[in-house]
Amino acid sequence: MIRLRRRPLEIRETRLAWLLMTPTLALLAVMALGPLVATIWESLFSHDLRLPWLGRTFIGLGNYTEAASDARFRQALAHTVGFTVTTVAIELVLGLLLALMLDALVRFRGLARVLVLLPWALPTVVAALIWRLMFADQAAPAAELLDWVVPGSSRVDWLAGPQSAWVPIVLAEVWKTTPFMALLLLAGLQGIDRTLDDAARLDGASALQRFRHITLPLLRPAIVVALIFRTLDALRVFDLVFVLTGGGPGTSTEVVSMYAFTSLLQNLRFGYGSALSVIVFVIGFSLALGYVRMLEPVREAR
Amino acid sequence: MRSSRTRPAALTRPRWFLLTALAVCVLACGPAPEVLTFSGSVLGAEGAIVRRQIERFATLHPGLPVDVRATPDSADARHQLYVQWLNAWSPQPDVLQLDVIWTPEFAAAGWILPLDRFAPDTDDFFPATIAANRWQGRLFAMPWLVDVGMLYWRTDLLSGPPATFDELATSVRSQLSRGTVSQGLVWQGARYEGLVCVFLEYLTAFGGQILDDDGAVDVDSPEAVRALTFMRQSIADGVVPGSVLTWQEEQTRFAFQNGNALFLRNWPYAASLMNEKDAVVRSRFAVASMPSSGGRPAAALGGAQLAINARSRHAASAWRLIEYLTAPAQLIERAHATGQFPARPSLYAADTLADALPVPPDDARRIIDKAIPRPVTPVYTELSGELQIHLHRALTDQERPDQALALAAGQLRAILNRAGLDGARH
Repeated sequence: MIRLRRRPLEIRETRLAWLLMTPTLALLAVMALGPLVATIWESLFSHDLRLPWLGRTFIGLGNYTEAASDARFRQALAHTVGFTVTTVAIELVLGLLLALMLDALVRFRGLARVLVLLPWALPTVVAALIWRLMFADQAAPAAELLDWVVPGSSRVDWLAGPQSAWVPIVLAEVWKTTPFMALLLLAGLQGIDRTLDDAARLDGASALQRFRHITLPLLRPAIVVALIFRTLDALRVFDLVFVLTGGGPGTSTEVVSMYAFTSLLQNLRFGYGSALSVIVFVIGFSLALGYVRMLEPVREAR
Repeated sequence: MRSSRTRPAALTRPRWFLLTALAVCVLACGPAPEVLTFSGSVLGAEGAIVRRQIERFATLHPGLPVDVRATPDSADARHQLYVQWLNAWSPQPDVLQLDVIWTPEFAAAGWILPLDRFAPDTDDFFPATIAANRWQGRLFAMPWLVDVGMLYWRTDLLSGPPATFDELATSVRSQLSRGTVSQGLVWQGARYEGLVCVFLEYLTAFGGQILDDDGAVDVDSPEAVRALTFMRQSIADGVVPGSVLTWQEEQTRFAFQNGNALFLRNWPYAASLMNEKDAVVRSRFAVASMPSSGGRPAAALGGAQLAINARSRHAASAWRLIEYLTAPAQLIERAHATGQFPARPSLYAADTLADALPVPPDDARRIIDKAIPRPVTPVYTELSGELQIHLHRALTDQERPDQALALAAGQLRAILNRAGLDGARH
């Protein structure tokens, strides 16, 4: 009897739930899915706004085969992956150290957190401009500092060297986003039950053992979440590189979102630019899926 | 249903309101208002003078009100906006202020009107400005203001401007060793449009060209390789500081304005700013054309042109406005207000410009006579983008000059080929 009465209620509640979800779903469809489908559709055409006499012709996967053989695109992709792996790895290590220190602080906790977060609060373009000024030319602070450490080395134009131009880019990114990483990890650290640590200490475990066998495993979900955010952010990097080097010298610091921007909005090659954007989207999306998979077994184990 | 019966007043009021709003909208937004729309640079002194002249034009032609539509001052942003409007076949704005490199692009797309139907008098315009605004034999925009690349030199340290690049290098070395300056020649060497302008001046000075007269790619010629090799060697020798590889116009101006650099390659705007009170080099500099080396001295051509939207409903009035703004009287008035160089050579002969321009009119005239347009092609921006990359790679030692130019030429040919434009200029 009870079952019979509950089922229609359940159905009604499910219906209501869907009804209440409708605006959200509609909004998602319009704001996220619509543009995505439109971009994928556009990527199947040869469409150059500058050359209207060529028209807009359906070429199937033509833009994708062009991208596959486009050396500049492959190079930009490699730059983006290199940048992401380097910066996220450094940020993870530094962020973890910073989070452990903030967690261990007894006094001035609030003040310390505010101070640590300052670089993150700065708009990226402003941060990039500051770093650009520091590395701008042979008389810039960075060059003078290097000269002080290694005498006779001040004649380096950091931003004009194909390898050296990466130094300010990576430094600026690490400086700016390590605080964010630290904050996410700090939240994870504070969710760990202190009594576990105390018990291990009573059993005679060293600080390193406690960190390896208690803190790190329990911090894993927080680390994965932080990695998702940072990796996806780093893959989309644009403003920092745009301001610091503009992709130069030559194209040695050009990242994939910059190349897509150039193709789409400067050269107005809508079809090709859309195809590049779709490729970037697919890469980011599959990475996110991978991370979410990493998160799941942890949840089940609990 | 039920509520409509119980609360009629609450619903009828908004209904009336909606109906009224609809009626107002039909009356107001239905047919487009009959105005002539001008769009271009309307900031600061430029904006004040263009508004004043347009108001005067409107009182002379009372039939049609003229509206000024502000557009972004950044060239890229304005270009993008124009493309959006024109690609959507918007009939407005009627009159467009164009950058010199946009004319062939908009002409080939059919977005601006050929002006030959109005029988424009092109005799009193600098030939380079007319050439830059022609596409497939027809004129698509009227030259208005001229921008040229000039060599700024220090009158307190040198007796005259160098005629050749070797002379320039000798002066730089002797001044550097004396310690009067810390840098030689500074130019725009970052990877952007400015680098192509500088390269064009070196290239012409060495007797090369980017596209030949038939529109075919010629940037991999021996002359071009010599020009680029020379540019790179100048950096290696310290005649040009390595820092220029990240510099745009303003950084180079600062270097010269503060007295650090002996020579500066820049546009005329820099002269106005360096004439101001706090500039170290105030009244200690003069301008000349860039030197040459086997070829001819050249000045990259920039500047503003006026064109008519192909979908304009007021093409005849638009033409009258263009004629008015490019007439000698308006150009002289504008030169006095902004210091911008007029596109009519006859004005430089008379005394009318004597204290209007930031440099002596004779010097300006001599440099403009050497002006050469950048490649006149609808795909210029793409060509320039590829050139920028390979030029910059050569200057930062990532590619040899011959290699860089061969690769660039290949890319340029591919772009022209894709656009169906290889050798189809005439």
